[in-house]
Amino acid sequence: MKAWISSVGASAIAYASAAGDLWRVYVGTIAGIVRSFSREHRRNRPRGELARQLHNVGNRSLVFIVVTLGFIGMVMTYQGCLQLGRVTGDYSQVGQQFLRLLVSDFGPTLTALMLATRVGAGIAAEIGSMKVTEQIDALRMSGVLPIDYLIVPRFLACLVMTLLLTVVGGTVMYVAGGLTAHYSFGVNLNTFYDISQVRPRHLVMMVVKAVSYGAAIPVVAGFCGLRARGSSEGVGWATTAAVIGSSFAVIVLDFIISAGALFLTGGDL
Amino acid sequence: MAYIEWKGVDKAFGGKPVLRKMSLAVNRGEVMFIIGTSGVGKSVTIKHLVGLLRIDAGEIWFDDRRIDQLSERELAPVRRRIGMVFQSSTLFDSMTLAENVALPLRKHKQLGHKASLAEARERLAQVYMQDYAERYPAELSDGMRKRAAIARTLALSPEVVLFDEPTTGLDPVSARRIDRLIRELADNLGVTAIVVSHDPPSIFGVADRIAFLYRGVVHVVATPAQLRASEDPIVQQFINGRSTGPMETPGF
Repeated sequence: MKAWISSVGASAIAYASAAGDLWRVYVGTIAGIVRSFSREHRRNRPRGELARQLHNVGNRSLVFIVVTLGFIGMVMTYQGCLQLGRVTGDYSQVGQQFLRLLVSDFGPTLTALMLATRVGAGIAAEIGSMKVTEQIDALRMSGVLPIDYLIVPRFLACLVMTLLLTVVGGTVMYVAGGLTAHYSFGVNLNTFYDISQVRPRHLVMMVVKAVSYGAAIPVVAGFCGLRARGSSEGVGWATTAAVIGSSFAVIVLDFIISAGALFLTGGDL
Repeated sequence: MAYIEWKGVDKAFGGKPVLRKMSLAVNRGEVMFIIGTSGVGKSVTIKHLVGLLRIDAGEIWFDDRRIDQLSERELAPVRRRIGMVFQSSTLFDSMTLAENVALPLRKHKQLGHKASLAEARERLAQVYMQDYAERYPAELSDGMRKRAAIARTLALSPEVVLFDEPTTGLDPVSARRIDRLIRELADNLGVTAIVVSHDPPSIFGVADRIAFLYRGVVHVVATPAQLRASEDPIVQQFINGRSTGPMETPGF
């Protein structure tokens, strides 16, 4: 019994310590962004690093996002029409409701979940490799704060690109869904692509979610990379933890933001 | 008081002690080699000096100042004075050699982009790497990467240089060139060098003094001649590389 309590206590302390470290990485990242506006840091900023990260996060994810969200859009519309056909047979609301759901939830959340796998894993693997090969120590010896140098540019790139990819991915999902509904169930395209039900609050929610996810993924992934230990196995664990952690962060943030929006709008979403 | 001093330092990883009340003093301008079996805490010892690892107990002093309790920000001036050449070259993959060497110049010396790159090329020329300034680390051999890493460390003209196994993985000619560089740094520029090494020609050819780490403490500190003449069976087993002897379990 004593050993069990001791084991649970040790785990609790380890989780609390990890949560504290994650928080410090987040605060350090925000502080790094603020510092990056100073004259000294502007001069020392690695040239072209932000552009490189925007390319890595955005351009290199584009095909992946477009393909996966396109297929998800087709599957969701197909299943939606299928179920609706069994119950009412009226497809007139499918497109409108699909768009509302897509803008306020599925667009940003599914885009972020895909980015958590591709970008989150990439960030953790890169930073983890640098950690186990002592490059992070070399950075510190060079007078560089690793968070400023490694996480801040990825953070800014993810903020921008998660939003842009959400718009692109959501559009592809919508178009693919409409074509599926039209060719599989004969839904009129003008009826499906009716955007009258989308309100500004849905767009606000999309932006809030995309930006929140974009902020969470690089911080969680960077934190996992910085905790990598040992050799290649440690990098593997860090990468796995980054995918799990950033996906989990996206789901939890989705719940919190959706619940908050429901509360603020009195349930009228 | 010694220029650099570890006083009663304890360090454990995951409950396993590595250093136990370890003490060592290094004088200004000397070349001190730290030797011992793998896992005995040689690299750990030198990493404590620049705050890359934190001690569990004890004190570390540098130039009459206690430095083991300094924050990351407070350590910046210490790291400007103490350079470190890591075991692997630790060059940044996404940068050219010139950019690698320029980075600490920009951060520590506050040089601008162009000025730092110009000085970086000069520093690379000192290790005969000027023709590779625009190449990326992945395009070069281990020895070339190590020379570039040394150029990066020496770019700040440090008073102390820590070398973590500088000749490991190098061909004999490159290894002896590194040895000569270490000796010249001490003799010509007064740089204090602390070298972690397993390489006997380096150890006995370059060191002023040698600290032999065993069971988490400095077992003996001696000149190369004194160490060779030592009758201590543990020292003899180590320097002669015998697989059997009193040192049954390496390290502990």
